[in-house]
Amino acid sequence: MNEQVLEAGANTPPTPAGPLLLEATNIRRTFGETIALDSCTLAVRPGEIHAVVGENGSGKSTLIKIFSGIVRAESGSLRWNDKPVTFRTPRAAQDAGIATVFQETLVLPNMSVRDNVMLGLDGVIRRRSGAERECAAVREALSVVGLGSLDIERAAGTQSLATRQLIGVARSLMRPWRLLVLDESTSAIDIEDRDRLFAALRGFREEGRSILFVSHRMDEIDSIADRTTVLRSGRSVATLERGEYSSETLLGLMSTRTSVRVAAASGERGADAVGRASVVSVQGVSVAAGRKPFDFELRAGEIVGVGGLEGHGQVAFLECIAGARRPVAGSILSEGQAIRSPRDGERARIAFLPRDRKNEGIFSPLSVLDNVTVSALGAVARWGFISTSRRNRMADVMCSRTKVKMASLQAPIGSLSGGNQQKALLGRLIATRPRVLVLNDPLRGVDLGAKRDLYEVLANLADSGVAILLLSTELVELCLLSNRVVVFHDQAVSAVVEREALSERALIDAMFAHRGAAAAE
Amino acid sequence: MNWLTSRSYAWPILAVVVVFTALNAIASPAFSDPSNWNGLLIGAAPFIITAMAQAAPVMSGDSGIDLSVGPLTGLVNALITAVLVPAGWSDPVSVIGISLAVGVLSGLLNGFMIAVVRVQPIIATLGTFLAYQGITLEFLPMAGGQAPAWLPGLAASHGGVPGILLLLALLGLAWLAFERTAYRRNLLATGGDSRTAYASGINVVAVRIIAYVIAGVLAAIAGLVFTAALGSGDPRVGVPYTLTSIAAVALGGIALSGGRGGMLGAAAAGAVLFLIQTLFTFAQVSIFFIQIIYGLILLVALTLNATGERIRQRRMSVS
Repeated sequence: MNEQVLEAGANTPPTPAGPLLLEATNIRRTFGETIALDSCTLAVRPGEIHAVVGENGSGKSTLIKIFSGIVRAESGSLRWNDKPVTFRTPRAAQDAGIATVFQETLVLPNMSVRDNVMLGLDGVIRRRSGAERECAAVREALSVVGLGSLDIERAAGTQSLATRQLIGVARSLMRPWRLLVLDESTSAIDIEDRDRLFAALRGFREEGRSILFVSHRMDEIDSIADRTTVLRSGRSVATLERGEYSSETLLGLMSTRTSVRVAAASGERGADAVGRASVVSVQGVSVAAGRKPFDFELRAGEIVGVGGLEGHGQVAFLECIAGARRPVAGSILSEGQAIRSPRDGERARIAFLPRDRKNEGIFSPLSVLDNVTVSALGAVARWGFISTSRRNRMADVMCSRTKVKMASLQAPIGSLSGGNQQKALLGRLIATRPRVLVLNDPLRGVDLGAKRDLYEVLANLADSGVAILLLSTELVELCLLSNRVVVFHDQAVSAVVEREALSERALIDAMFAHRGAAAAE
Repeated sequence: MNWLTSRSYAWPILAVVVVFTALNAIASPAFSDPSNWNGLLIGAAPFIITAMAQAAPVMSGDSGIDLSVGPLTGLVNALITAVLVPAGWSDPVSVIGISLAVGVLSGLLNGFMIAVVRVQPIIATLGTFLAYQGITLEFLPMAGGQAPAWLPGLAASHGGVPGILLLLALLGLAWLAFERTAYRRNLLATGGDSRTAYASGINVVAVRIIAYVIAGVLAAIAGLVFTAALGSGDPRVGVPYTLTSIAAVALGGIALSGGRGGMLGAAAAGAVLFLIQTLFTFAQVSIFFIQIIYGLILLVALTLNATGERIRQRRMSVS
């Protein structure tokens, strides 16, 4: 990647319309009774960055899976390079020139970075190239995504989530692709890496290659997409050229609901939260050896945002509050009781939502009912036996409070969309009647409709007196929801930004430990 | 030494091999006597080779296992002594060729049922386990038969080098060569996470089938080896090797969930199981006691295996 390509900025006009690279017309796909895609039409031109946005279950993931040979369409036509095609396997799609970076499947933790980047490039037995050429190619692909200095023989599992996502991108770049499909592949990447990746994507566009880009982040779409296709309930609603729309237009198209605005009453809540009782008291805590300790009070009824660049100690802080980890120094008290283990956290009614929903959150094959009530079975028991009616009632109440959309309580939670799984998990936490909610990036990989619901749910919870600690990688979200935001830098708190001073700029300053932030502290 | 440093999973079991070799040497002067080495190696080879056979299916993940490894060695033994030799097909090309072909076919059958029909590996190979046992007894209802005359000769010493050592070296070289292909990476990826492997373009079905074919071929070789050792047929000798091969895979640092390990660890663990047996034989301990010791060692090994896995996970989650 040379300087010139990196310089190619956002201002370059998109390539004029011509022959289409990929053309999907009236694609339909059902899974059992669920209609994942009803009638979806989407066309990708050569040399464009095309964004796809849509709500819960609008069919984005299924569409991507059809393009990459994992799922086949039932009806409708798919044309690649002006020829009708059906991709029967992921390999077939790759060989045609479509490289996909999936949201969920990232890397194999036990294998080296090199093996992970090379995955699927060889034959079953035959290698594509000798060891030396292979290493050189792997390094080159990694340097495009800004990982040029990574030790490629180390196990991929030792890398951060952001790095693992970038390794997934590098894997796709190894192929001679003409269309790169990114299915929310940037969700964990911090701003600096993301900008570098976007510069690379623009470089690819200049070479006449195309990118299909699924994102839930308006700022990403604003900064990079030439065109945007909006999906709603399995149908493509519109494809808009850059400049034809604003975030507001897109949100409107995505939703049948009229209200786009978030329940952002947090400002008013902020004022009276000051007087409220402290529920968690953090005293002289350091999350890493030798870092400056900090004090902090979490009060009932407030939402405290937690921000920072990936890997700067904010996750450790969250885990300490929940009792899942011990701080290096200092203590965490709730009503005078020290929190030192997950059991202490449970006793103090601190509920923790882990970031990795698939592995640490849901029981995928079990029903929504089971998933929602599993942590609070004691509350629905009678004489030590679970009362079915009480349990159903609890699940009903929780699911309606968190606005879960599902076929029935008996549906396996794995069949729900990501956003609805997250709502159900939140329901599970609320069922334990927590005083404190510790949420590690609950809105990651959640579509906009579900996000809006979750914003409201969180605001209502705070209003009812629950203290919420909310880690988010999205600045807009922190600004919208928080009474104040604790920002981490280099394993220590670099600033606590109060509601009045809250802006994306202020948070970025604090994340990079900019001088302006030091003054705010 | 790169081949050793890149196989850190096998270090513990290699250390155990050294320890048990030393213990054997201390327990009995006969163990150190070079004239006995050939016999010892002939005894050890079926343990080692069936353990290697078990490694590939286990590494392929999705509860991969091949229970038919033991009965297949017995089937090959019965086929040679009770069918091929009486029919006059006792030349090396027929015997070795047909034995290996049986191994390949068995692997294709197991692999097809598991990777294509998608039967649980433990059930699919339990089916072939029972079938092979039945066929073996049909061929050879009781011990008897005759190995071709040249076969025991192959296992004997060749200019001071035991024939089995040559065979093991040959297998080792064959595997090292095979490792240089993309197959090892594909096998570990498929075993680690078959969805990721599939989505990234790996032909998961072919990788799985080949894993079972490797198992079949190695089991057939083990069958040839103990036909050479016995000089005759015995319908009961093969079956127990299923259990020792599974124990060896667990001992050899191979993740039973797939995706981690290799042939070296399995082979070393197979050798350890044999060395334990000889040690207790030298010490004149009852055969039943050896079973108890096997069981305990297996439990300890699995505990260590699980602990190691946990430590590794923890190290990886720190980021």
